[in-house]
Amino acid sequence: MISFEHVTKVYPSGVKALDDVTLNFDQGEFVAIIGRSGAGKSTLIRAINKMHDITDGTLTVDGIPVRQLKGKSLRAFRHEIGMIFQSFNLVNRTTVIKNVLAARVPKMSFFRVLFGLFHKEDKIAALTALDKVGILEKAYVRVDQLSGGQQQRVALARTLVQNPKIILADEPVAALDPVTAKQVMDYFLNINRELGISILINIHHVELALEYADRIVGIRDGVVLFDGPPDQVSEDVIHQIYGGETEAEIV
Amino acid sequence: MISRIFKPKIITLPNGKEVKQPRSMLPLVVVVFLVFTYFSIQLTGFNLTVLITRINHFFFILGEMIPPRFAYMNRVWDPLLDTLKMSLLGSAIGAALAFPAAILAASNIVKSKIIVHLTRLILSAVRTLPTLIVALIATFVLGLGTLAGTVAIAVFTFAYIGKQLYEIIETVDMGAYEAMEAIGIKKIPAFWLAIAPQIMPVYISTALFCLEGNVRHAAILGWVGAGGIGLILNQRIQFRDYSAVGMILLALLITVTLIEALSHFIRRRLT
Repeated sequence: MISFEHVTKVYPSGVKALDDVTLNFDQGEFVAIIGRSGAGKSTLIRAINKMHDITDGTLTVDGIPVRQLKGKSLRAFRHEIGMIFQSFNLVNRTTVIKNVLAARVPKMSFFRVLFGLFHKEDKIAALTALDKVGILEKAYVRVDQLSGGQQQRVALARTLVQNPKIILADEPVAALDPVTAKQVMDYFLNINRELGISILINIHHVELALEYADRIVGIRDGVVLFDGPPDQVSEDVIHQIYGGETEAEIV
Repeated sequence: MISRIFKPKIITLPNGKEVKQPRSMLPLVVVVFLVFTYFSIQLTGFNLTVLITRINHFFFILGEMIPPRFAYMNRVWDPLLDTLKMSLLGSAIGAALAFPAAILAASNIVKSKIIVHLTRLILSAVRTLPTLIVALIATFVLGLGTLAGTVAIAVFTFAYIGKQLYEIIETVDMGAYEAMEAIGIKKIPAFWLAIAPQIMPVYISTALFCLEGNVRHAAILGWVGAGGIGLILNQRIQFRDYSAVGMILLALLITVTLIEALSHFIRRRLT
């Protein structure tokens, strides 16, 4: 369980990205976080695995206080949480399988990493994960040969090999076309339903959020304005989160 | 400020609107250029008549070099190979040492400003030393011979590649590195997995480019006693044995051309 208690994040520039946020996420939830660019969605997601530090409040994951983690304990903690990025963040100049195998690196000696000596069971785990996201045949292809949708699936496979309890996804479909975006969202849904992994996703597309998530969190200027199931998201709620001027385009 | 001294020309349109055309700076630039040229000539004692009257000596030496004395070649092989060994080994050592130094100097990898700036300071301090001076110092410390030359070349290569490489590391795409950090991978393995593949082609290419130059550098290091072909070159010039000098220069020309062609070929394939 992830628990935010009065969490505040102020950037050195003085921008308040999170303002007294109190939220709880249970294991196995599929949560979509919606809001305008700069509303604090990214900060909220990245605070959970301490990619961003919070400046005030308490944030715990399964009872572990995130703020106090550093060094080895932080790395071990991060290994339990998967992360997906808007720009996929893969190593382009190397093969798909090597990217996926990165998930096993924290458990390997540096010597083995240096020469790329992976154990057979690691390779099998990587290939199994690639099969799960439907791109097993691309295992030995270089990443820069793949389409955006395929690359995001590679990233998803890499995350699955970590065997995480939670997957944080920061705008995972923003760089993809609508059809590919739906395919990737389907994989998220499968992973959530089959493996019981919690999914927290930042997303611009409100209609995708409403279609896939069990729960919607709407934020604006770092403040949580809405928290509830998708069927309670009314036009009025959208109006509050996004402000008046662009509502016609969104809905 | 300049426009206050040189008032812009005002163009008036038929409808009365005015446009200010800035004055050209060219006349001023020409005047400054001529003044500096005059003082440079005064300072360096440049004398055109000497240049013209003595130029025939150059052609005399050139004439003596042609044809080169091919029989002298069996005395050239050993120092030539020494020169090649010095430049290859020196380049390899310098390039290997530059890799960790470049990481320490890259501000996107190392968060400590002290380490970053200290490493950069060392790199630029080393870079200001001409290779010939380093070789000279190395001969004092290590004695005459190719070891001194190798060290001099390694030092220069280290500073040159170190500087080039940290600038490349800083422009690299950090996305994959961020993902590695999110997976819980330590800094050095994360660098090796996410950033090394991106910089490797440029690193090897820079090292080869440096090697090309080092072969030429290594040729003159013999002047200060650091071994190699420069040693016999200096000696033959002093004996005014110009046909032997011609042979040495021809051998050097062919070697340098071959190395450059090979390195060029590999570098083209890399990028």
